[in-house]
Amino acid sequence: MAALTPDKFKIIGYTQEEANRIDRPTISYWQDAWRRLRKNPVAMASLVVLGLLVILVIVGPLIRGYDYESMNVMEKNLKPSSKYWFGTDNLGRDLFSRIWVGARASLVIALVATALKLIIGTIYGALMAHFGGWVDEVLMRVIEVINSIPSLLLTILIMMVLGNNLFALLVALSVTAWCNTARQVRGMIKQLRESEYVYAAEVLGASPVHIIMKHYIPNMLGILILDTATAIPMFIFTEAGLSFLGIGLKAPAISLGVLISMGQQNMEFYPFQLLFPCLVLCIIVMAFNLLGDGLRDALDPRLRQ
Amino acid sequence: MGKFLIRRLAEMILTLFLIATATFFLLEAVPGDPLSERADKLSPTVKENLYKKYGLDKPMMERYALTMKGICVGDFGESFVYAGQTVGGLIHDRLPVSARLGLQQVTLGVVVGLLLGILAAVKRGTIADYLVIALSVLLISVPHLIFGLLLQKVFAGNLQWFPTIGWPAGKDLWFGGWEYTVLPTLTGCFTYIATYARLLKTSMLDVINQDYVLTAESKGLSRARIIRKHILRNSFIPVITQLPMSIAMCITGSFFIESIFSIPGIGQYYVTAVNNQDLSIIMGETVILAAMYIIVLFITDLLYVAIDPRISMTGKSR
Repeated sequence: MAALTPDKFKIIGYTQEEANRIDRPTISYWQDAWRRLRKNPVAMASLVVLGLLVILVIVGPLIRGYDYESMNVMEKNLKPSSKYWFGTDNLGRDLFSRIWVGARASLVIALVATALKLIIGTIYGALMAHFGGWVDEVLMRVIEVINSIPSLLLTILIMMVLGNNLFALLVALSVTAWCNTARQVRGMIKQLRESEYVYAAEVLGASPVHIIMKHYIPNMLGILILDTATAIPMFIFTEAGLSFLGIGLKAPAISLGVLISMGQQNMEFYPFQLLFPCLVLCIIVMAFNLLGDGLRDALDPRLRQ
Repeated sequence: MGKFLIRRLAEMILTLFLIATATFFLLEAVPGDPLSERADKLSPTVKENLYKKYGLDKPMMERYALTMKGICVGDFGESFVYAGQTVGGLIHDRLPVSARLGLQQVTLGVVVGLLLGILAAVKRGTIADYLVIALSVLLISVPHLIFGLLLQKVFAGNLQWFPTIGWPAGKDLWFGGWEYTVLPTLTGCFTYIATYARLLKTSMLDVINQDYVLTAESKGLSRARIIRKHILRNSFIPVITQLPMSIAMCITGSFFIESIFSIPGIGQYYVTAVNNQDLSIIMGETVILAAMYIIVLFITDLLYVAIDPRISMTGKSR
């Protein structure tokens, strides 16, 4: 065994700067999530498709220069052609323009309903988690009662009470949907409040505003984004279903559901009138679903392997 | 255990009471009344008698009390639109139709879905796996409303293989008239195929990474035996707890399918009743469907405990 002499303990090229240097750039959670999402070709493809759809929904009705409402009795039920790309309906209205106006309505309904769901759900969940005790019990009981009715029944009932209009549809769609968000938010806040790093932040003297901005919101944003990605296709589908049953929007208002139900009446002879709205609906729903899957992989660290 | 059951039962009855109350007052808020259309053309005395017959002449709170009393003894009253049609008779006639449709969907969907799920998990990373993933994304993304319409158009309309609409009745109610049930069943089962394939696959992949599977492998058990005895058994927990929900949902989830194929089930009648403002039928159906739903949720809770000993009954934490 070699003897330990003092000259073995000299510093060989160590400086404070070197020890503190970090070779890789630090990336935040969001940069990391975005990097993972970008590597996922399916998710990126659906993002592109969604982008295209949004552009089409905004400018689509203007492309062909036909008004979506004006009828032309001479040119009804025409097959798709270079003049009418998607053909015309039984009143001679240009289907291409109508589909984009309808898709616009469906998307707007889904987006607003999702926003309502998130806002109500987050506030409700935060209230439950903040007050706890009997307030939590009572508010939870309300959710349980709402959840023990099949949601479609409740939606139909609300539509019946409020009538066939846009406002009623938004209320009916979001009346059951917010429960899930509220539960998730409640669970998340309770978990965060107990977690060591929030406690550490409190001990270090961080202000409540700082804790909310730096810890609560970034942590919850992941859940809420996922919630959005799954809620939008669900709302689009429910809206289409209700309008198809004659309980949602009714003609002359148009949405994809109304167009599908009109297409069904003519599907025996003019199948394209059914096919095009169905196709657009499927593409929208599928793009959102695939993007949602990609977001889940990117945002949830527990799923990473 | 006994205490838990009693508490849950009380909760269920309270929930049902709240639902019935809420439904009653919601329906009260509907503008107009279901008789006005019929009564418009009648003379004032006949009109008065008509309103008296259905009890619409009484004040709201009295009708509320009467309705609730009726529900307690299982009497939901008579249809406002079709004379002589009661909720009890309606459920008796129409529930079997919806039940058969629902059960056929769930059986086919769950069996196919589970097989695909096993295939995808066992052959992870192969072509078979990707095909199953692609299929389930496709099946989840295309709403069954659209599947139904397309199947109807292609197989009933163009190819004429199956009847377009209708449903077996009479002695064929449960077994028979299969050609009528093929398209509606297919339409409904796609969602279940996708859901269960994904569910079982995720759950199996979880289990495959567990230590006891490694132990089983190191003991020298055959692959088939490990899958059967260790992986499948443990990964079935989410499947079994999901199943009652699917069965409960399949009755109310068939609204669209019943409407597309003109199947005389309870979903279709509910929609008709809503369009006709047939208040007593809506009230009755809502309460009965909600009751069925609540009972199934309760069974699901019990199943959780029965299958997975790790969940205790009384200390159930959320």
